[in-house]
Amino acid sequence: MKKEDTVKLISAEGFEFIIDKKAAMVSQTIRNMLTSPGSFAETEHGEVTFPEISTTILEKICQYFYWSLQYASGKETEFHIEPEITLELMMAANYLHT
Amino acid sequence: MQAMYIRVKRNKTTYFIQCDPTETILQLKEKLYNLIDQPVNDQRLILMLVGDVLEDSKSLADQKIENDAVVALALRKDDNQFEDVNIVKPNDFYQPRDSEGGANW
Repeated sequence: MKKEDTVKLISAEGFEFIIDKKAAMVSQTIRNMLTSPGSFAETEHGEVTFPEISTTILEKICQYFYWSLQYASGKETEFHIEPEITLELMMAANYLHT
Repeated sequence: MQAMYIRVKRNKTTYFIQCDPTETILQLKEKLYNLIDQPVNDQRLILMLVGDVLEDSKSLADQKIENDAVVALALRKDDNQFEDVNIVKPNDFYQPRDSEGGANW
């Protein structure tokens, strides 16, 4: 695991989540940011700030990325979502194209 | 894609680390070294669920570390002691706007 292969996602409250690039790319929005040529500052620093996503939701999203990769490689487990965060999580998922 | 991942937390930062149950804690610390530039000897890992300090020579499976487990990271301070575990939870300082004393600025 190398630093260059990770990205840092920053929540509204300034919490940081360091995850594998491969996991982050489950999100089409993040994939576009990281792979589009030039222009995005995010591409160079490997950092993406989400001023509108709270820490709890962003962590859940990161867990989802990894779950998604595990599921794709044949491990069938359920992804648990607490009812009270469902709406906020759906809005974030919509934004991230996840 | 490896079999599992764990969440290593310190202050306001969380590292998602992919790993295998057969890996040792030392191998895990080496992965962290690549990310945070802190030598393995200056890292201490604690399994949050039970509060145990994890031993370098044991495997993740030995110490009952499962997929999605939360592990705290403590670093060695200048006085050679390890810092206390500190994981900030988002609710700790997310104050509702109408709370008392919230209008200080």
